[in-house]
Amino acid sequence: MKSLLNCTYAVLAGLSILTTGVALAKNKADITVAVIPKVAVPFFDDCNTGATEAAKDLGVKYQWVVPENTQGATQVKIIEDLTARHVDGIAISVNEPRSVQGVIKQAIASGIKVLTYDSDSANSGRSMYIGTVNEKAGEVMGDEMAKAINGEGKIAIVTGQLGASNLNERIAGVKKALAAYPKITIVDTEGTEDDLAKAVSVTEAIFRAHPDLKGLFGVSQVGGPAATKVLSEHEFADRKGAIKIFAFDDLPDTIRGVKDGYINGIMVQRPITMGRLAVQHLVSQIQGQETEAKDIDTGVTVVTAANIGSYTK
Amino acid sequence: MSSIEQKKLAMGIDSSSPWQQIGKLVAIREVNVLLALVLIGALISLFTPYFLTTNNIMGVFRSFSMTAIMSIGMVLVIITGGIDLSVGSAMGLSGLITALCFNANLPTVICVAAGLGVGLVFGLVNGLLVTGIGLPPFIATLGTLSVGRGLMYMITHGVPVTPDAPAAFAFIGQGYVGPVPAPVVIMLVLMVIFTIIMQRTRFGRHIYATGGNENASRLSGVRVDRVKLAVYIISSTIASLAGIISFARLLSAEPASGFGAELDVIAAAAIGGASLSGGVGSVTGAVIGAALVGIIANGVILLNINTYAQQGITGCVIIVAVSLDILRSRIMGERK
Repeated sequence: MKSLLNCTYAVLAGLSILTTGVALAKNKADITVAVIPKVAVPFFDDCNTGATEAAKDLGVKYQWVVPENTQGATQVKIIEDLTARHVDGIAISVNEPRSVQGVIKQAIASGIKVLTYDSDSANSGRSMYIGTVNEKAGEVMGDEMAKAINGEGKIAIVTGQLGASNLNERIAGVKKALAAYPKITIVDTEGTEDDLAKAVSVTEAIFRAHPDLKGLFGVSQVGGPAATKVLSEHEFADRKGAIKIFAFDDLPDTIRGVKDGYINGIMVQRPITMGRLAVQHLVSQIQGQETEAKDIDTGVTVVTAANIGSYTK
Repeated sequence: MSSIEQKKLAMGIDSSSPWQQIGKLVAIREVNVLLALVLIGALISLFTPYFLTTNNIMGVFRSFSMTAIMSIGMVLVIITGGIDLSVGSAMGLSGLITALCFNANLPTVICVAAGLGVGLVFGLVNGLLVTGIGLPPFIATLGTLSVGRGLMYMITHGVPVTPDAPAAFAFIGQGYVGPVPAPVVIMLVLMVIFTIIMQRTRFGRHIYATGGNENASRLSGVRVDRVKLAVYIISSTIASLAGIISFARLLSAEPASGFGAELDVIAAAAIGGASLSGGVGSVTGAVIGAALVGIIANGVILLNINTYAQQGITGCVIIVAVSLDILRSRIMGERK
C-alpha cells in the first residue's frame, strides 16, 4: 500500500516537473492567467484594473471570472472549470477557505500555479497570499480608535456577512488592539449582510440602545456609508462628533463622510496593487523564475481629512 | 343581566356571551398576529427603555415599511395561488434605473416613471409567462429574479450609483409627515386602498375566487388569466415603488439592493395568514406580518441578543405563527 502511494507521489512529482518543463518553454503570449474575485463589488473592480494592467504589460492572456454569488460551492465550480480548460495560473479571493482546499490542490497537482489574494485559504497548498493581512489592518483600526476616544468608553462593531473570514479577522485584530485599553468595552457586534438599508437600521438601533456610545467600527464596506447616513439624520444630529467612526474601504459615500466630518478615518486597502502583484507573481511562477514564494502584506493606508486627496491604492 | 351585557347592548353589540365574542375575535386572523405583535413589543419594552420611544418606533416602522409595501402586492399574487419571487430584483432594478436617470439629469417625473416602468415590465413578463405559456409561477418569477439581478450587475459592475436628487424627491424616502416617516405614510395609504379593493370590489372578489377554485371561477365567468396578469403587474409595480422609495432614502442604488427581499416579503404574507395554496389571505395581515419581523429584528439589537441568533429567532417566529394559525383554523372548522 505504502509503496503504491509512493509510486503515485513519484508519478505526480514527475508530472509536475514535466508540466513545469512545458511551461518554461512557453511563450508569454501563450500563458493564460485567470483571476477570480469573491463577487461583483467595487473593491474587485480595482483588483481587475491592476491585474489587467499587469497582464497587458507582461503580454499574457488574462481572464476575469466573476462568481454569481458568495457561496463556497460557486468558486469550487469555477476552479474545476478552469482546471479542465488548463489555464496556467489562477489567483483567487476566497469566499469560504475550507471548501476550495480540495480543488486548489487538484489544480496544483495538474500543474496550474495557484495563489490567493485579498482573502486567503491558508491550508490549500497555494503558493502565496497577497493582500491585506486583515488582522493587522484591524489592529491599526483599533489603535486609531483608542487614540480618538482617549482610551476610554463604549464602542460597537458593524460587520458584513457574519461568516466572512476576512471580516472576522479584522474584528479579531480590533479586539487584540483594544485589549491594551481596559477602559474600552465592546458593547455590541452586529451583522448586516453588506446590505446598506439593513446596515442603516442596525446602526440606528445600536445608537439608540447605547446613548453613551463613544465609537463605531465599520469593518465591512457598508459601515462607512451607513454611519454617515445615520449621523446626518435629524434624530442623531447631536451625536455627530461625539461618536468616532472608523470604517473600511473608500466607497464614494464613505469618502464624502470623511470630507463632511462624519467619519474620522478609513482603512483603505490597496486592491490595484493586489491585482497587479497577483498577475506578476503568477507569471513568474509559471515561467519558473519564482520558486519560493512568500506571502505579501499589501497593508492599509489610514485615510483621514488630512490626506484624502493624496493617497494611492 | 350582567353589567357587561348591558354595556354591550347600549353599544349596539349583540348579547352573545363574552366567550363567543372572544371566539369571534380569534376567528379573525389579523387579530391573532396583532396580539402576537403587541405581546412581543411588550416583552421587549420590559427589558429595554429604548424600545418604546417615538424615534425608535418610527425608525422600526420605516425599516419594515419596504417589506410591508412589497408584501401588499405579494399577498394578492399568493391569494390567486401564485408566488412572485422576483420582487427583490424588481425593487433593486427600479431603484437603479431611477438613480441612473437622475445621473443623466432627467426631470424627477421621468426618473420616477422610468423606475415604475421597470416594475410594469417585470409584471407583464411574469404574468404572460404564467398565463400565456403556462409556466409555474415559481419558475417564471425565479427566472425573472435572476435576469433582473444579472442586469443590475451588468449595468453597475458592482459599483453603487450615487447621484444627487432634488429634495422634493428625497422627501418620499427621508421626509416626515408630522412625526411619521413618509415611507410609512405611503405604506398605510397603499394598505387602505388595497384593503378596500380586496373587500369591496368585484376585482377583489375575483382574486379570492381565482385562488379558491380556479376551474369553478372560470366556469362562472371570471376571466382568470386577466386576474392573474393583473396581480403580477400590481406586485412588480408596487415592488418598484418600494425600490424608488428605498433609493430616495439612501440616495445610493447598490447592486445588492433588494437581494433576498422576496423571502422576507413572502414570510410577512405567510405570518399574516396568507395560505400559499391560494384563496386565503389579507392585505392588513401581510403588513402586520412585516411589522412582527421588523420588531423582532429591532428588539434583538436593543436587547443585545447575539447577532448570530437573529435569523434563527425570526425563523422560529415564522414557524410558530403559521402553525398556530393552521391549528386555529382546524379548531374553528370543527366547531362549525
